[in-house]
Amino acid sequence: MSFEQVPLSACLRHVTLDYGAGIVALDDVSLELKKGERLCVLGANGSGKSTLGSVICGLLAPDAGDVSIVGEHVCVDGTPNYEAYRSARQKLGLVFQNPDDQIVTSIVDEDVAFGPENLGVGADEISRRVTRELERVAMQDYAKADPTRLSGGQKQRVAIAGALAMEPEVLVLDEPGALLDVRGRRGIMRVMRELSETGVTVVHITHFMEEALEADRVAIMNHGKITLLGTPSEVFSHNDELESLGLEKPFATRLAERLRKRELNVPWTCSADVLQASIVQSFAHRGLVKQDSQTETAALPSTVAAETIAGAPQPQASTQGAAQPQASEQGAAQAQAQPKEQLQAAAIELQHVSYSYNRLESGHKRTINDISTRIEAGERVAIVGQTGSGKSTLVRLICSLELPDEGKVLINGIDNSHKRARRQLWGKVGYVMQHPERQLFAETVAEDVAYGPKNLGLAADEVERRCNEALELVGLAHRKDSSPFKLSGGQQRLAAIAGILAMAPNTIVLDEPMAGLDPQGRLQLRRILKSINASGVTVVQVTHSMESATHANHVIVLKDGSILMEGSPREVFSPANKALLRKTGLGIPKPLAWSLDLEEAGVPYLGKPLTTTELSDALKLSYAGSSVPSYEGEVG
Amino acid sequence: MAFRITLGQYYPSNSLIHRLDPRAKIIAALLVMIAVFFINNPVQLLLGWIGAIVTTLLCRVPVSKVLTAVKPVIYMLCILAFFNLLLIREGNVLVSFGPITITEGGAWGAILYSLRLVIGVVAAALLLLSTTPTEITDACDAGLAPLARFGFPAHELAMIFSLMLRFIPTIADEASAIIDAQTSRGGALAAGSFVHRVKSIGPVVISLLASSLRHASGLSRALDARCYEGGATRSPWHPLKWELKDTLAVICVAAFVGVLIALRFVIPFWLY
Repeated sequence: MSFEQVPLSACLRHVTLDYGAGIVALDDVSLELKKGERLCVLGANGSGKSTLGSVICGLLAPDAGDVSIVGEHVCVDGTPNYEAYRSARQKLGLVFQNPDDQIVTSIVDEDVAFGPENLGVGADEISRRVTRELERVAMQDYAKADPTRLSGGQKQRVAIAGALAMEPEVLVLDEPGALLDVRGRRGIMRVMRELSETGVTVVHITHFMEEALEADRVAIMNHGKITLLGTPSEVFSHNDELESLGLEKPFATRLAERLRKRELNVPWTCSADVLQASIVQSFAHRGLVKQDSQTETAALPSTVAAETIAGAPQPQASTQGAAQPQASEQGAAQAQAQPKEQLQAAAIELQHVSYSYNRLESGHKRTINDISTRIEAGERVAIVGQTGSGKSTLVRLICSLELPDEGKVLINGIDNSHKRARRQLWGKVGYVMQHPERQLFAETVAEDVAYGPKNLGLAADEVERRCNEALELVGLAHRKDSSPFKLSGGQQRLAAIAGILAMAPNTIVLDEPMAGLDPQGRLQLRRILKSINASGVTVVQVTHSMESATHANHVIVLKDGSILMEGSPREVFSPANKALLRKTGLGIPKPLAWSLDLEEAGVPYLGKPLTTTELSDALKLSYAGSSVPSYEGEVG
Repeated sequence: MAFRITLGQYYPSNSLIHRLDPRAKIIAALLVMIAVFFINNPVQLLLGWIGAIVTTLLCRVPVSKVLTAVKPVIYMLCILAFFNLLLIREGNVLVSFGPITITEGGAWGAILYSLRLVIGVVAAALLLLSTTPTEITDACDAGLAPLARFGFPAHELAMIFSLMLRFIPTIADEASAIIDAQTSRGGALAAGSFVHRVKSIGPVVISLLASSLRHASGLSRALDARCYEGGATRSPWHPLKWELKDTLAVICVAAFVGVLIALRFVIPFWLY
């Protein structure tokens, strides 16, 4: 390799690093990074991804092996050369998960200037770089803003601008999107695409397989080793290995595999546009594609790519939007029309609830504006909406952490506006806030979980019984005596959730419970929530993912503090609502979006599928020449 | 959100005051804040208020912003005024009702002491509204620099101060999130018996400490990644430049303060 002409940005040979106590973070890793390439590192939590990132950006020196970065031999045979590290670090940039910790000043542009100031760059040059980088990340309008008042995605973009202003040769992004919403992640991906034009070598560590598709190379890590390394399509073709590592393959790959299992003639691919084009082609071969649309298929791939990978909003016909409110009213009416549920008290009922944080200031905007809805006992509710749409406030109202300015909140039929009533409701509605693991405090996991039941005044043996039950449910019974701070990130979250479950709530409300978890953690939590729901607990979940909202049986879409639409997933995620949902910045679940794109390209009606299984079944039916009935009922 | 402190609420603008050297502004604000304690007659008070209003106008910040900054102090001043009203017993008696006696001196004191302090608070508010936290840090850094020769960690202290300003809102938001979480688990800081409340503090403090440590380790990683190595090699983006206008500004304020203090002795006693 060393004879190749392409200059290397980083070269790791037989690098081993352990944190002591038998935890080997990197185990004999060798890796070469070509200048200007974009490498994506995937792997479960604890696989050593972050450690690899820290070694590449010069913040950690390995225990054994050779490292040279940006032309400096910083570590030879496990012996670090600190002078070399110091000069190498000036050409290395790092952006990591938590945007709050990376911003060091109280004004956005000062923060971008912080790095160049440390490098001793002249004042005029700093001004140039600050303007350039803020523009690159589309934050130029916030140059004088207070970073603590920005959204997570905006903060993360400021952090990237701050790293780029140092003009690094290598930029390591360690899960930059892990704590962000869909829109925030999209913004980061847009910035990364621009980076490739600047010639910066990018190392992107992520949990999201879709993000890996745009990389030049993908490395999969497991137990401190790089197990797979190659182009995205090479890596994603290693089916069994990926599955055994618990990694989620990109949507296009999953769909292609399912279609091939159903004996449709499509190639194995991880590229969305290739798959869509070949589906259309195979339908065309059988004469199933409508003639007038066939000419459009040539133009399809590029639009499809923009949509499914980047999710970039497309201009939509406004007529569709106009037809919308009617459809949503219908949905709401249907949800309320079921007679048997009217008789018993709803788990949660909101009656014309309004709320604003700064009521006293004139000209304020209401955070929650006249919301009325019923959540029946045993339902599984998904609340979706953009950042700032009032989701979290709505959840706080449901949990009686705020009281409405106007209107009523009834929980199990009890009005929560009286103090005595609220005390009765203690423990009835469990609230799992964002990043609940940050609230762990006790010496052992068991003690932490017991905190809630103890406060309810239960007898010691009952507390212990509930505690054990809750820990069993989340699969942490074997860790009950360890310190919560010693658990892995995913386990910490489960321990925090167990603390709520131990209070035996009728309703559990979770604010973005999946944020920051790896695919395996997400899968595990999804299973736990399903079994809690099956045992009769009402589950209300705030989510950014339309795909996970399809698994609810009641979807509430919020916009600017009001309910935009509400109903079953099939009612809300309908082709008619596509334009409105896009306009709200939410979009529709991928299988539905694909079916609509394919229909537009001439494929016959696919029955509005909401899951990958439904979509592949529909494609098979349609391919066989039968017509596809519309999907109905609950999503499996 | 309730914990957010209105500290370092910079309001971007390009006024004359905004463009002054932060050191000049700090000196001027300190002078005014000391001078208000010399106010003890209506003429001084009037002059002081005129000064405060003129500076606010020069600063070109919305009056509402200044009022927001002053608001929290007003409650304190009201309590102060109340005690002054009851405790100062000078001059003619205005009202006497049982143990409560309100005198002319008490009434005057209640008004004077509150209103004169508002001038000082406005000066501080204008300083923070027109100066970025970074500028304040740089000014402190420069002001303390002579002490660095004796081994005093001037630059490091300034940096810590600036990081503190940056992290106060973050930690405050987290504290209120943790309190919410504990409240929904029945550990109510805001309700229940006294013993119950005191017991609830522990979990909050431990979680907050753990989260501060997480921030600290993240922050140290960020500072390393951005090559922060203390003051030696840094080239400030906006180096402090003391210009003629800064000298003039300090002279103006000093003259104003001089007149203000002098009036205490010049105004005949009978006026007060």
